[in-house]
Amino acid sequence: MKKLNPVLRGLLFMLVGGSAGFALGLVIALAATGQADPAGSVPAVFAWFLGATAFFYGLSGYGPAARGLVWQVVGTLAGALFVTLLRLVMGLDEIFGSFLFSEPAWVFGALVGVLSFIAGSRIADDWWKWAKGISTPEHDEDPADWRKYLGVSLDHKVIGIQYTMIALLLLAIGGTFALIFRTELAASQLQFLTAEFKLFNQNGLQIYNSLMSLHGMLMIISILLGVSGIMNYVVPLLIGAQDMAFPRLNAFAVWIAVPAAVLLLASLLLGGFDTGWTGYPPLSARAPVGIQMFFLGVFTAGWSSILGSLNIIATIVRLRARGMTAWRMPIFVWASMATSIIALTATQLIGLSFQLVMFQRLLGMGFFDATRGGNPVLFQHLFWFYSHPAVYVFVLPGLGVISELLPVFVRKPLYGYRFVAVSSLGIALVGFLVWAHHMFTSGMNEYLRVPFMYSTLLVAVPTGVKFFSWVATIWKGKIETPTPMLFVLGGIIVFLLGGLTGPPNATVSVDLHLHDTYFIVGHFHDTIFGGFVFPFFAALYYWFPKATGRRMNETLGKIHFWLMTPSFLFLTFGMMRIGLLGMRRRIADYDPALGLDTTHLLMTVAGYLIALSVLVFFFNFFRSITKGEKAAGNVWNSRSPEWLVPSPMPAHNYAVPFEVVGEPYDYGLPGSRFVEFSKAKHPEAH
Amino acid sequence: MRHFVTVGIFVILMTILTYVGLSASGLMPVEASEQARSIDWLWDIQVKAIAFLFSLIVVPLIYSLVVFRRRRGDTTDAEHIEGNTRLEIAWTVLPLVAVLALAYVGAYSLAEVRRVDANAMVIKVTGIQWAWKFEYPEQGITSTELYLPVSRQVVLKMESPDVIHSFWVPEFRIKQDVVPGRVTEYRVTPTLIGNYKVRCAELCGTSHAYMESPVIVVDQAAFDAWISEQQRLAAALDTPEKRGEALAANNACAACHTVTGAESIGPTWLGLFGSEVSLADGTTITADDAYLEESILNPTAKVVEGFAPSMPPFPFTTEEVADIIAYIKTLQ
Amino acid sequence: MPHLQDKAAIFRLGVTIFVYLAVLTGLEYFVAVTFASVLFLIVIALVKAALVAYYYMHISRLNAEHEGEPESHGYRTGTMRLGLWLFLLSDSFVFGGLMVARVNLLGMTRPELNQLLGLLVTGILLASSFFMNRGETAMEHGDRKSFLANTTLTLLLGVLFLVGVVGLEWPMAIHAGVKPDSGAPGAIFFMMTGMHALHVTTGVIFLFIVLGNGRKGLYTSEKHWAVEAAAVYWHFVDLVWIFFYPALYLIGRIA
Repeated sequence: MKKLNPVLRGLLFMLVGGSAGFALGLVIALAATGQADPAGSVPAVFAWFLGATAFFYGLSGYGPAARGLVWQVVGTLAGALFVTLLRLVMGLDEIFGSFLFSEPAWVFGALVGVLSFIAGSRIADDWWKWAKGISTPEHDEDPADWRKYLGVSLDHKVIGIQYTMIALLLLAIGGTFALIFRTELAASQLQFLTAEFKLFNQNGLQIYNSLMSLHGMLMIISILLGVSGIMNYVVPLLIGAQDMAFPRLNAFAVWIAVPAAVLLLASLLLGGFDTGWTGYPPLSARAPVGIQMFFLGVFTAGWSSILGSLNIIATIVRLRARGMTAWRMPIFVWASMATSIIALTATQLIGLSFQLVMFQRLLGMGFFDATRGGNPVLFQHLFWFYSHPAVYVFVLPGLGVISELLPVFVRKPLYGYRFVAVSSLGIALVGFLVWAHHMFTSGMNEYLRVPFMYSTLLVAVPTGVKFFSWVATIWKGKIETPTPMLFVLGGIIVFLLGGLTGPPNATVSVDLHLHDTYFIVGHFHDTIFGGFVFPFFAALYYWFPKATGRRMNETLGKIHFWLMTPSFLFLTFGMMRIGLLGMRRRIADYDPALGLDTTHLLMTVAGYLIALSVLVFFFNFFRSITKGEKAAGNVWNSRSPEWLVPSPMPAHNYAVPFEVVGEPYDYGLPGSRFVEFSKAKHPEAH
Repeated sequence: MRHFVTVGIFVILMTILTYVGLSASGLMPVEASEQARSIDWLWDIQVKAIAFLFSLIVVPLIYSLVVFRRRRGDTTDAEHIEGNTRLEIAWTVLPLVAVLALAYVGAYSLAEVRRVDANAMVIKVTGIQWAWKFEYPEQGITSTELYLPVSRQVVLKMESPDVIHSFWVPEFRIKQDVVPGRVTEYRVTPTLIGNYKVRCAELCGTSHAYMESPVIVVDQAAFDAWISEQQRLAAALDTPEKRGEALAANNACAACHTVTGAESIGPTWLGLFGSEVSLADGTTITADDAYLEESILNPTAKVVEGFAPSMPPFPFTTEEVADIIAYIKTLQ
Repeated sequence: MPHLQDKAAIFRLGVTIFVYLAVLTGLEYFVAVTFASVLFLIVIALVKAALVAYYYMHISRLNAEHEGEPESHGYRTGTMRLGLWLFLLSDSFVFGGLMVARVNLLGMTRPELNQLLGLLVTGILLASSFFMNRGETAMEHGDRKSFLANTTLTLLLGVLFLVGVVGLEWPMAIHAGVKPDSGAPGAIFFMMTGMHALHVTTGVIFLFIVLGNGRKGLYTSEKHWAVEAAAVYWHFVDLVWIFFYPALYLIGRIA
């Protein structure tokens, strides 16, 4: 068994554990309710809990992941049982049901589960020791091989890669869900997600809603983790720091994403939910119990986002190298700062809005229930106050990657660096003032619509500054287009399309037609792919040699790009077209009389081609880790300090600290240097 | 200099090509309301702007990729150009002016769309999971189809007893959410006779995709004739059973309850009256008049085993409840 | 800087600030029962908040010079201080969101609550901040006995606050018909006081930990970051109540 590839071993264990969980679930359901539906929720949830735990045990033995998950499962069941017992003692009816436990039991259980995960994985261990008055060493040493990525490391580079791995996994799952419902949408009428199809206590239409809702949230979490991954890996390198300001907090923030993902996926199994990722009440107040797992999963993931961004801000403010004044910070650092300010503050509001719905369900607190003096539109205000700035969290880092990489590949300074730097902060600031443009049709106060139209259109100004600067940077450069640059250019064009389709949504009258149609879906897929997905791939291809000492394969990279880009453009053009012609969002089936069947079919094909391109990427990525062409030096001939030390990056980054002696992007200025490494050894280097 | 001229020419060309191409591809559905005119006018301006701005960025980009490609063997850097403050200020201020102008135009367009005709005909619309119900208070009829007279403004007063829905007819363009706990307004002046559909545009649960109802725009004469016909049909409902059947149809009971015995979101009505019903709490009850009445007015009081407690209460009058029960009794 | 000033002087300043806070609270109550100006109440709350933030939480320390070399303990403490304040900034958005919900759902009405109890628990929390400030100041000057005594008083007053709100106000409200599920006033009241009480509870736990480690002699006048952190967090919890108290008890007519 030890000789087997760890991933295969993990999958094998997952199969065994999952099956055991499935059987256990059947037995427990039968014992508690007298019924056992193999296609129901209970065996599925047990299969998921035990399968996920077994996977990590097979992968790396009883390490933090497996231990954390074992504790999470035990804690969830213990918490649920505790509340169930309480309900029994209180004489309440419905002790066990088709979801085994009642909703309050599941909610309390899930909460206890998350706390148990924290205890079991020991990610809060040092703080626990400090509370007892025991001091702990500054840095643990990680194992030398790949096993460090499955452990609790305090090294920002390891954590950055852990973030990226979880992000890629959620991307794959969320993308698979999309392929499932895109397959159903390929033709009008229901083909397989029918009313007769029954799974996890849902019929086909309800499964569609759950898959579509989770596609949204899993992708959002994937993006949040992905941006955290890049920022955590790259920011300390760019500013010359040994690590982040709070390494333990960093480890906590990445690991807490694991129980969050477990809960999010459990939501599908516990009856799903039919509200979309936006969770509007009153519908969310009436949804099945799966929505509570969704709410709690998002809440938990939110902690990752908040704590991670706190760390980034403190690191940038406090740990910059000597001579790195604000106007000499790499542009990606500005982008990270702006992103983190948003994520630190606004995220609390999605937590709050979901929390209020949770309590409306649990205790009858009528925040959004009109029959109890509540206001459904209040939810939308609270929710979008986060969820609009959130999209700038999604794209600002990627736009920063574009700005950071362009000078390297055109051998020319970033045009108008200061304006570009400030534009990230400008977008962040204005981004806080536009949320109600998601609510133009909501029935909110009439007089709010025009001001929010004005503020929304204003975002175009700092965004435009970036575009003009990018064009001016490229203009008269000496351009090379290896794979990272291809994705940068693709990102610019795709984000341009997303940005240009913004103003129609911003103008209220036109939005009355566009809102809740596929035009919006096309708009945000363009902005998200352009602002995150393309730059994310660019960053991965670009910094891969820095992390591993090897290059990814260029040919496969080009195949990835040229397969993904036209397919994606077609997909989003198709989305916008059908939206304009009457295709609503979030529907499992559509009116054949709209005449959109052919377009839908082609869009589904495009989706599969995108998935294929991502598979090409995964193959390239994982293969290159061990078999890629060796690349130990300054592969891209960049002026940035991280490329002036060997690859893979040494454990504590810069054994010799650097001092900033020039501007970051002075390509073409003879004799100029950005940084100089001092003679003295870094005080904290080992 | 020649670079700028070449790029400039291509930008103009591409703008025109893009705009013409987009417009010719028939982006919008047919324009069927006065409100649609204003919206399409603003949309057209924006398509022009999109065509221009797209070209403005993409043309120099692609031009650069061709003309400024690194020559083989050249390892030197490009010219050290850091920026031009005046240009950067220009490309901050000019877009600022442009967006403010667009916002102003947008406000104007919105005002056009919201123009109120004091003589608008009032129609009450109810959005329920998962159908639309239309009541014409001025004429005293109820319908599951929305008939509208052309060239006259109507004001729909919309309510929902359950969750948020949204009223949208693509050909009319405008859309308005229907929110529980308040009455939202939708004003439209249809301009084109034809058959359309209202499509619920806010995810409202399982059958959101199917929440579509006919919207028929006719001339005034045909509209009056239809009204008369509906009034005649309503008057012909002389028995409780017939009235009950009409109430069931108008209130979308069939969205959850079949009359054929087939399984659906809610229990079937076929053979329901007088049968033994197993409830979720384990007890069994006979489906008598009292049970049926309670199930309509307070549905979550007794939930049938195997079904979700998702039926909203329907605030019918005592007579209406009796009529519906009479109708249900006929389904044996 | 704390070390340069005399401990007694800072103690006196703490008393002065507490007196201001108490007077302002009395003024608040007076305004509420007489001419009930919302603007006045907001201004008073802002002044109280500014006093706590500046004199008790020492927010100006964020801008401190002379922290030392980047690797020094002083610099590290400054980084942790920034981290703590960023956390509080984030947390304040939760309370801000709750205030928005309160304004949206209740407008110019308020739930019917026991005014005497409200005034009492507010006084208790303000007093707890007073003692916390004394305790932290004592530690800054190396006076462990005074630190322990004052921090213990803080903790006890914190627990007393919880008894007052959760133990007394809640059952009284429920008895008077203001329940979590009785409509918007009840829902808002319980959610706001509940979230606040949760933070008071975590604050109490934090103080308990700091007292435990303080008794073991872990803190000195040069190294006592945990004490400063616990104190600043405690004052933050008081700061939130400075806004929640008028929002729930004083502004508006009875619903």
